[in-house]
Amino acid sequence: MSTARFDELIHAPTRLEIVSLLAAAQWADFRYIRDELGLSDSALSKQLSTLEAAGYVDIRKGFVGKRPRTWASLSKAGRQAFDEHVAALQRIIARSQLHAGAGPTVPGH
Amino acid sequence: MSEMQQPRSAGAGAAGSGAAGALAEIQRRQGQVIRAALVPVWYWWAMAAPIIAYGAARDSGNVAVQAIVIPLAVLVMAVLIGATIPEVRRRVKVHSARRTVARTVAAIFGMIALVDIVAIGTAASLTAARVPHPITIGCAAGAAVLVIAGPLVNRYVRGLMLREARQRLNQAGQAGGRPA
Repeated sequence: MSTARFDELIHAPTRLEIVSLLAAAQWADFRYIRDELGLSDSALSKQLSTLEAAGYVDIRKGFVGKRPRTWASLSKAGRQAFDEHVAALQRIIARSQLHAGAGPTVPGH
Repeated sequence: MSEMQQPRSAGAGAAGSGAAGALAEIQRRQGQVIRAALVPVWYWWAMAAPIIAYGAARDSGNVAVQAIVIPLAVLVMAVLIGATIPEVRRRVKVHSARRTVARTVAAIFGMIALVDIVAIGTAASLTAARVPHPITIGCAAGAAVLVIAGPLVNRYVRGLMLREARQRLNQAGQAGGRPA
């Protein structure tokens, strides 16, 4: 079961974008992530390495025909950390709305 | 892990709007993944063209035309399926529940059945009524169904996947609200 935990590693803007993409996917191609987020190869590699070092992302390399491809996916720990981060964000919103005297809602709903 | 940690420096309102922005970003990115996992709209038009070409070749009655156009139409459809769908699946694979996958498969097979019923039914009716070019017209009707129903199936599947992604986000939030 998840608990709410604000994760500074995930919350950094670029990493939040990467983890959000990966959270909706079983896995995603490196080039797809790079193009969707408008990052350079080196910038994405750096962020994925940081997430991989934290145990949040699994990297798989292989070939499609003769072309080398790299796929990334959220690890079990990464998915749990993401869920906890989402829970923390929702709790922050609920608390700020309590302060403002409004009922809690989730954006997009 | 059990205690929720928040940036202390930010005020409640600023933290709230920052968190809302982050959640909106998460939902936006998840929508992006789901769109990328579906075939593009042009795919349905590209599939419709060889269907009509097949019908026209059959109606021509010219063996040489049929010998060239029919295998070519089949080849174009095979290449489209063989190139587009694996490429989409190679880019990203969406995290979907079994129920969503089952509904997606049902929607696709339902659309294929509808295209076949319309094309064959129209061609058979027109042939019986001795209308000229019945197979071309039947195939054109089936292709029109494909062009209309294809994007509708895309939209339906996207809706299913988005709903599932939002449910997962809400479940994460509800679980996080419980005492650790």
